[in-house]
Order: sequence, then C-alpha cells, then structure tokens
Amino acid sequence: MAGRQLLMTFPVTANSHTLAEYRARGGYTVLENTLHHHTPRDVTQAVADAGLQGRGGAAFPTGRKWSVVVPGDGQPHYLIANADEGEPGTFKDRWILEQAPHLLLEGMLLSAYAIEARNCFIYIRGEFDLPYRRVAAAVEEAYAAGWLGDGIGGTGFGCDIVVYRGAGAYVAGEASGLISSLEGKKSYPRNRPPRLTVRGLYQRPTVVNNVESLSNVTGIVAHGAAAFRAVGTEKSPGTRLFSVSGHVNRPGVYEVELGFPWRKFIDEDCGGVLGGKPLKAVVPGGISSKVMTAAEVETLRLSHEDLWSAGSTLGSGGMIVVAEGTCMVRLLQIMLRFYHHESCGQCTPCRDGTGWMHRILDRIVAGEGRPEDIERLYYIAKYNDGTTICGLGDAAGYAASGMLDKFRDEFEFWIAHKHSRCQGRIECPIS
Amino acid sequence: MPDILINGQTVQARTGQTVLEVALANGIFVPYFCWHPQLSSAGNCRMCLVEVEGRGLDIACNMPVSAGMQVLTDSAEVKAHRKAMLQFMTLNHPVDCGICDKAGECRLQDYHYTYNGEPSKSFEPKIHSNKYYNLSSRILLDNERCILCLRCTRFTHEVSKSMALGVERRGDASNIRAAEDRPLDEDPYSDNIVDLCPVGALQSRQFLYKARVWYLEPTPSVCPGCERGCTVQIWHRKPEWRLKALDPRQNASIARVTPLENPAVNGPWICNKGRDLARIFERRRAEQAMLKGIPVPLVDAVDAARALIGAAHRPAALLSNWGSNEELAAFKQYLGAVFAAFVKRDCEPEPGERVEDDLLIRPDKNPNTAGARALFGEPVAMLPEGTDLVLVWGEGCDFANLPRGAPIIFLNAYLRPENGYADVFMPLSVQTERHGHYTNFQGIVSEFQPCFPKPDSIADAETLFMALAAPAGVRR
Repeated sequence: MAGRQLLMTFPVTANSHTLAEYRARGGYTVLENTLHHHTPRDVTQAVADAGLQGRGGAAFPTGRKWSVVVPGDGQPHYLIANADEGEPGTFKDRWILEQAPHLLLEGMLLSAYAIEARNCFIYIRGEFDLPYRRVAAAVEEAYAAGWLGDGIGGTGFGCDIVVYRGAGAYVAGEASGLISSLEGKKSYPRNRPPRLTVRGLYQRPTVVNNVESLSNVTGIVAHGAAAFRAVGTEKSPGTRLFSVSGHVNRPGVYEVELGFPWRKFIDEDCGGVLGGKPLKAVVPGGISSKVMTAAEVETLRLSHEDLWSAGSTLGSGGMIVVAEGTCMVRLLQIMLRFYHHESCGQCTPCRDGTGWMHRILDRIVAGEGRPEDIERLYYIAKYNDGTTICGLGDAAGYAASGMLDKFRDEFEFWIAHKHSRCQGRIECPIS
Repeated sequence: MPDILINGQTVQARTGQTVLEVALANGIFVPYFCWHPQLSSAGNCRMCLVEVEGRGLDIACNMPVSAGMQVLTDSAEVKAHRKAMLQFMTLNHPVDCGICDKAGECRLQDYHYTYNGEPSKSFEPKIHSNKYYNLSSRILLDNERCILCLRCTRFTHEVSKSMALGVERRGDASNIRAAEDRPLDEDPYSDNIVDLCPVGALQSRQFLYKARVWYLEPTPSVCPGCERGCTVQIWHRKPEWRLKALDPRQNASIARVTPLENPAVNGPWICNKGRDLARIFERRRAEQAMLKGIPVPLVDAVDAARALIGAAHRPAALLSNWGSNEELAAFKQYLGAVFAAFVKRDCEPEPGERVEDDLLIRPDKNPNTAGARALFGEPVAMLPEGTDLVLVWGEGCDFANLPRGAPIIFLNAYLRPENGYADVFMPLSVQTERHGHYTNFQGIVSEFQPCFPKPDSIADAETLFMALAAPAGVRR
C-alpha cells in the first residue's frame, strides 16, 4: 500500500456505495455536526489551512478558490462538482462516483455550506453509465433521508444537487467550458477575467471543483486541517488517487500518499511493468502532462513539487506506464489525434495548431517526414502555450514538446528511415 | 481615472475600459479580428495579444485596465506571436485574394502584409471546405476563408436578435451555419454580417464579383427607406476608373451600399432595405417632359405649367416627403403663396416588409416626413373642395382620387404610366444626383451628396419651383 489512505478507507463490497453502509461508516455525521456547531467560515478556513490542492489537474489551492466568493453579497452562488473526467488515462473520479458517491455528496454539502451555495450541480461525463446510476441513486437516497433539500439536519441550511450528464466533449471538462455546457450552450471555454468565482454559471459566482477535491473536504472538516497536513509532503498535503493504465501488471485506481517514491509505487503496488520489460517512460497525469523518462521516474517522488521541478505535473492523476519497445512517435500521434479531435475550435492557435501537429505526425508516420518537421512541432507548441483561452491548446503543445524533448531521436529515426525504430508498436511486446 | 503606460507613453483610461479600447482611443493600433466595439468580446482570434510587464502575454480586448499597468504592444514577443497567429489563420486559408471580393479591405490581407509577410510554415496540403455555401438568399459563405471570429453569430445573437447563425461541429471542422428554424432570410439586418466579416468569408450575392473595391469610392448619403434616415455610403466607380467599353449606365450605378457609422442615428448598422437602394434609384427613369403624353422640351413644359398656374383660382399642391429640406424650402419660398400646399406620403410599407422594430426600422417609409411636417404640417388624405389645379410632386398619388376636371402638373423621377395622363409632366433628379438634407424622426438632419451627374434633360425640383414662380411668358 502506497502510504496512508484518506479516501479508500473501507472495503468495497456490492453495497458499500449505499447510504445505509455509508451511514454505518459514520457518514453525514460530519455534516450534521458542522451545520449545528460551526460557521461556513470555519469550513473555508479548515480547507484553506489544510492546503488542499485541486485534484483536477491544475492543483490550484481549493481554499484560495473559495475565498473569492464573498458570503452574503446578495446574489446566488453555485457549486459544481466536475465529474466530466475526460483526460486520457484518467479514471480515478470514476472510483469515487461508483464506490463512494455519498462521500462526494457530503463533501459537496459541506462546501456548499462554506460558500453559501443553495444550488449545486454534478456535471458527469456522458459516457459514464454505472457512475451516473450510482450518483443519481445516491442523490435520491440523500433526498429521501433528508440530507438534501430544505432544512438539512434540522437546521435552516438547504441545498439541492442536480446531476447533469455531459454530451461527450473533452473541453467540457474545463471549468468554464463546463459552465457553458451546463447553461445549454456549446462548451466553449470563456476568457478570464472575469474569474468563474466572480461570474460563472448564469453570470453568478461559481465554484467548480474536482470530484476528488470535494470528497477530501469531508475528511478535512472531520479531522481538522492539521490531520490532513500530517499526510503527504509539506507542499503537497494529503493523498491522491492515481488511475494507472498502460503496460503494468496491475492497472487500476490507487490512493497514494503524496511524497511516495514513484518507482516503488509502480513496482510494488502496480506489480511492475508488464511482461517484466524495462520501464521506458511514464505519462504522469493524463496526456496533458509532459512525459517522464524511466530515469526521472527512478528519482522522483509522487508530489506536486517534485513533478513541477522536473518540468511536468501530476495533472489529473492519469498515469500511463510505457514499457520499453513502445514507439513514442505512434504514441504522440495518438495523443495529437485526440487533441485535434477534441479541440473546440473557438480560438485560433488551438483550432489550427492541433490539426497541424496531427497532420505532421500522420505524415511522419506515413514515411513522408521532413527534417524540419520537428522544429515545426516545437514552433506550434510554443505558440500554443499561453495564447489560448483554455488549457487545451497549451496541453497539446506540452504533449508534443515533452515527447520531443525526451525522445527526439525516435522522431529523427522515423523521419530519416521512414519507419519506426520500435516497429511502430504501442502495445507491450511480450515474447 | 487610472493612468496606464502603453509602450512607455502615459495614457488616460477610464475604469472598466479594456486595454484595447484605451490603445485605439489613443491612436495606438493593436490588430484584431474578432473584437468589435458594438459586440461582446469573444477573445477568440488571439490577434490582439499584448505584453503586460510582469504578467506576460494576454489578449488586450479582454484585459481591464488597472492603474500603473505597463503594456507593450510591439515588443519582440508580441510581434513573434502576431506572426504565429497569422500563420495559424492562413494555415488552411485558400489565399484566393485574386477572386475574393474582400481583397483590398480585408483585415487578414492587411495584417499579413503589416505583421507577417512570410510564406506559410506549413508543408501540409490545405484542408478544403465548402465554397459558395448558401447561407441565405442574400449571403454566400466561403468556409475556407472563414477564420471563425464569430462576429456574425454574435451579431445575430446580440444585435439583430434573429439567432440565425451558430457553429456546427468543432475544432478545425467548425462551420458557421444558419439555424434551420430561424433562417437568415428573415433577418432584415443580415447583410451587416458581410461588412462585419473581417475576411472574405461572407459575401453579398448582390456584390459578388461586381467590382474590385479599389475601383470604387464611397459617397456619403442618407437612406430614404424609412424615417430613421440612416447615414450610408453609396459606393460607385471612381471617375478615373470609369468603364469605357461597356454600357455607360454601369458608370452611374450603385455598386453597393454600406453603413456610414453615425452613433446618433444608426450606429454602425443599416437594414437590408438600405443595401437595396439600387432597387429604388435604378428603376427606369423618366427623362422626357410631356404635355398630356406628348414629348416636349422641358422649357415648353415649364411654360405650359406657368400658364395653368396663372389661370387657376384655387391651386393645390401635393408635396413629396422624399424632397430634401432645401427643395421643400424652395417650394415654400417660390410657390408657397400661390398653392395651398399639403404633404403626401410617397411610400407605404410594401407587402412582406418589416414595418417596425426596436433596432432601426421605422413605420413611416419616407425619409423626410419630419422636415416636410415642419414646413407644411401633417400629411392629408383629401384636397380641399373647389381645387381647380393640382401640382403633384413625387410618387404615391393615385390620380383617380384627385378632384375631377382639375388639370394636373406632375413632377416625378421615374417612368410611370400616369406620367402620360398628367396635363404637364416634368422629370426630376433623384437623390443620388443632387445635394441636400433630410430631417429624421428624431429631428436629426443628415446630409447627402451627389454620386452621379444628372441627365441633361432633367431638372432639380429646386430649379423647377423657381422657374414656375416666374410670371408667365418669362423664360428661365
């Protein structure tokens, strides 16, 4: 087990997601206690003191996000749980939605209490079927038991949660794109300023938090900020859920205490690389984070500061393990196909840049690459960085420049020899 | 009043303004495609990227000013990024400027030469898309040229409120398309999107392949379509680029009509009726004076009219509310004492025409009702009893309703069957051939200038009124 655990604290059974079992584990007592004995300010303070960082990808401090919302400013506030988990390689929120939906609901109720939101939304990825059914059932159970609606726990606090299913756009997972989609529009992300916490859903202050971030709120409020900080590292408190896929023996969702050695996690928890192959690279947190080589994995710990110092990020926790013998050119081609397909087409650099990069990769793979292509890819990546409305454009550039930085020789090989150095394989070659 | 520094120059700004607005107001040009002063800020073209010291690059059109901020609009970084944005925009752009109506007034073309000037960095074949897509009965869309600035969709959502346009699909396959249940055809302001389009994607069917814009020049004028009196620019061939071999009428025809920005009256918009001024002014013209349908020289017609006026006891005049303030004043000055003068309505709304809305269109379809009312009072339906001579000026008068037996002096610009029934008919010049002013319903006076010379056999109404006022027998 990779360090201490805060979320995966119960054995998963056929009924462990139900309200009855959640109550048996002490569910909703934190909420009840907080509503009776604490002010919204206390909750915000606890989350801020705990140093909880957003688990969706940007690792923005949750407390700081909330602090922008002014209590009692006379306008409605909204809270949205971002369950539009679409980053390739990421499926960790799915575990919470399927196995611990009430943990999310309790965390949302506490958060809604803190930011004075009467109406909350769960924007859930449209392709999620079981997670949707589990969450929708949990919301119904919570309404029936009086944990949602008016006068929760016999107090004056009321809160409604609407579960909304997305329609399949990756960019709707970006907070402002999500809001556009929730408003019934095309999921075009919005320019900042104004920040969403100033003008978000229906032009009102809106907090959009990742499912995992909100689920952590319950524990923070229950045990205090200090207890949360005691887990993890100083700059990355707490744990993170990692969804491990790719060439490992035991893929799946793991909870890892931040600061845990990366290589040890892959070797011990995930059972090592598939087929006993040597490790080639790991995409740490969804394909939008820069790929890390085996040597870097060896030395780094799984914490935000370690990955940032190495020029990448823990991102959304979607870890893709790549074994030796995998063709990185084909891998980048697949990544860029994704960005090209999912670019919303609103702003110029991403709309045209992602397609351009994808076509360059297609051409290289077709054996028609030119030596200038690598410089072109860098050029496109550079001018996508920081010039787009949302992070998708930047991310496509990071994926390309990260791969080129680390595995440039493979690209040069394919361009020069018109074939892959690794037989173009992306599946793990097991002899 | 926060002061900000742009390129080291201190400029004054108002709280709530954006850096782009402040820069443009102070004569510092920042290139932009999607931004428009009358539309919301979409911030999607990324052309107006500027550098803020300490904060890096961001778009100026969505950047609120704050005191002391230091903005650079021409740093090396900004210039490099502008080049890159133009590279992205022209990536799949067909660069068919040679056959594009927008060439010469195209932002993409201008910016390319100003800020980029380099060949494409792309080795990929261009992605082809629809050309001549039928957006409405008035507008064609070239998807290859479209840079998806969404000015047109925002116009239909925010200004004309027809919600007629949206974006289909996503990424570089995005296409502007018209809503099926709210066709763009029903939007009476649709042609504004052709002006709004910063590139040649939206093309007016009327103007398609009609002229290169650099052969044309605009003349300020006033749309006579309704009492709003929108100021417009009438585009016609420059005299030095006159066509020699073709029909000479081509040189005296309206190539297109665009709005002349006027915050007090119409802002930067006009309606589609204003675009179709050629339909009004280029009807078949009457160029021949007549006496009961028999062609005569104009001077003879004037003589005959003077004789009729001299013989009449109770002459009445039906005046045109398409007459300019100058013409109406001339009538009052020269003939006001002779005639009992009444204003008529020259034009009524046509079947199917939008009569009135909240944006520009007004129910009275005549340009100078207010100016005529100021001099001659309200329009009347019936002439007084005992009228023994009627002078009819302009259209919109059914001779059958005039007093039986009273001779008719008719002044009109267009070829109509009733011209021949009048005892005296005299052809008039039209608005595009003279100078004058109209007063709109708000009391705002706008000026129109002549675009074309008038035919020799035709007189202005002002001249005719003066001539009619002279005693019978005296030649002009």
